[in-house]
Amino acid sequence: MSEADPSGYAEPSSLLYRLEFILESDPLIDEVGFVHPSQFAALSDMSGSPSLSSMSMEPQSDKSKLKASQVNPTDMAFWSRDHKLGISTQAIHPLYNAAKHAFCSSLEQYKLLIHLNPKKVGLDSDNVSNVSSLATLECEVMKHSRALLLLSCDFGTAWNCRKEVVSKKQNMMLYLDELLVSTLVLSYSPKSERAWSHRRWVVKMIAGKCKNLQEILKNESELAQRIAEKSKMNYRAWNYRCWLVSYMPENQVINELIKYRDWAGLHVADNSCFHYRTRLLTRTLADSFYKQDLKASHVHTTAEVCQLWKEELSWSEILIKRYIGREALWLYRRFLALCWIKHFAARMGGTHVESFVDNELQLFRSCTTVPDNQMDEPQSVETGEKVGEELEKVLNKVCPEKAFLWDLVRKKNGGLI
Amino acid sequence: MKITALLVLKCDSRSDGSDPVILANATDVNHFGYFQRVTVRQFIVFVGRTVAKRTPPDQRHSVQHEEYKVHSYNRNGLCVVGFMDDHYPVRSAFSVLNKVIDEYQKCFGETWRNIQADSTQPWPYLNEALTKFQDPGEADNLLKIQRELDETKIILHKTIDSVLERGEKLDSLVEKSSDLSAASQMFYKQAKKTNQCCTIL
Repeated sequence: MSEADPSGYAEPSSLLYRLEFILESDPLIDEVGFVHPSQFAALSDMSGSPSLSSMSMEPQSDKSKLKASQVNPTDMAFWSRDHKLGISTQAIHPLYNAAKHAFCSSLEQYKLLIHLNPKKVGLDSDNVSNVSSLATLECEVMKHSRALLLLSCDFGTAWNCRKEVVSKKQNMMLYLDELLVSTLVLSYSPKSERAWSHRRWVVKMIAGKCKNLQEILKNESELAQRIAEKSKMNYRAWNYRCWLVSYMPENQVINELIKYRDWAGLHVADNSCFHYRTRLLTRTLADSFYKQDLKASHVHTTAEVCQLWKEELSWSEILIKRYIGREALWLYRRFLALCWIKHFAARMGGTHVESFVDNELQLFRSCTTVPDNQMDEPQSVETGEKVGEELEKVLNKVCPEKAFLWDLVRKKNGGLI
Repeated sequence: MKITALLVLKCDSRSDGSDPVILANATDVNHFGYFQRVTVRQFIVFVGRTVAKRTPPDQRHSVQHEEYKVHSYNRNGLCVVGFMDDHYPVRSAFSVLNKVIDEYQKCFGETWRNIQADSTQPWPYLNEALTKFQDPGEADNLLKIQRELDETKIILHKTIDSVLERGEKLDSLVEKSSDLSAASQMFYKQAKKTNQCCTIL
């Protein structure tokens, strides 16, 4: 059973051993959390049955031998169930020290071996022992770096040496494993820059060589959205998602716009979400652009893309009317309106631009009347002013001869803008 | 746009200050990390009880608590509390609360007045409502048939402290509360200390 040491915890290196064993025996673990020891009992209740956590030194192959009732919950260092891993907050410090020590020493030996045999390694059959010791060291380095990254998400050396080891082998599965490690780190530190840039590295490495890149990109986009939803104001998640767009084929870009429209409709305060949509829409224009003569003054878009933009415009209008005073929606509409006038409207016949602008003015007018019951959001007055500025810019840019319209609107609103 | 929880409570209007009793509880904590869920559930119960206790009969209150808005409506002792995020329109939130209270009275009549202890039985309608009204568009459909909403004012509170009586402090309520485990109370203190950007309730 568990060793009885006065503090209730075994020594650090055995903690590290246990952690690595748990990770090894359950490769599907997708979430890590740091838990106060007193919460372990509640967690077991929540999952409905006693948790199984390896407490003894010898890893038990038959986990049913361990019963949680034999272990005092507050002595537990790890809790693992349903592919979730909980680490006691009291175990973090000794665990981190052990992991860092183990990682640094294995990395040193690995580098030494590489340095001594820079070109012969893996190629020369005489160096069989070198090859096997290299393989062992690589394994150690990967094992310890993963444990370390679960405790210190921005440990650059650990991320970099993983890149080094994986890039030496030409194995697609290893690259996908790196995505799993990054996911695990993001589960407890969703804004970790190193974890996100590791994902970028993986995508760059597999881009030319992978048959199901589109599938991978789809999963990456979904992951970024899930993480952005869980952790507010996660610029890095959205930045990554925008970055992925340049790898997506045209049909995937259009699919992303349609598939995630409903989600965007429920996150109308999230400017990053709408910025992502502008990125996707800009890409649809760029694709059309490259398909035809670069000297042409405007883009000749396909009917499908044109329809998409129309749908986007009408959807944006519905949202603006329903959620009064949402700046993100107005900023998005500014983008849509400008691009529409520039790239689509000219093709639609003489008076289209005028009627489009009229429609925008009407929309603006209907949204700037501030109702005087106290249930509405207070920011609608400020936003009304911002909206006014934006619309003025659009008007002056597109049809300066209509500036008189602006004065009319201003007068009608009693100087509200 | 998110509804995290809907609670139905029985509020005792007697002045002996007994805490409201929970009649039904529907909570969706799936968007929280796995290891935070227990604490979040406990805080929802704690805050729900605290706000309901201080919502006088036939009043509507909205309390801002970090990035959440806690809305409560007390109809003659039967109180519904909703935990919505900052972006869920206030008008839609109260039409949801109205609908829930109407349904509860339709299903259970006045039997709730005799309940003395927290009920652990789930009420299926409440769980369905929690899912259905995630989209405020659904709540807007209710608005067309609800008239009484326009007549009653909503009392807004910028912090949960303004709901409390003079002299009451949230910290001491947290400490005394039997809804919060030791771990949750410790989490509350830690979160205050470090002022994380990702605090929960």
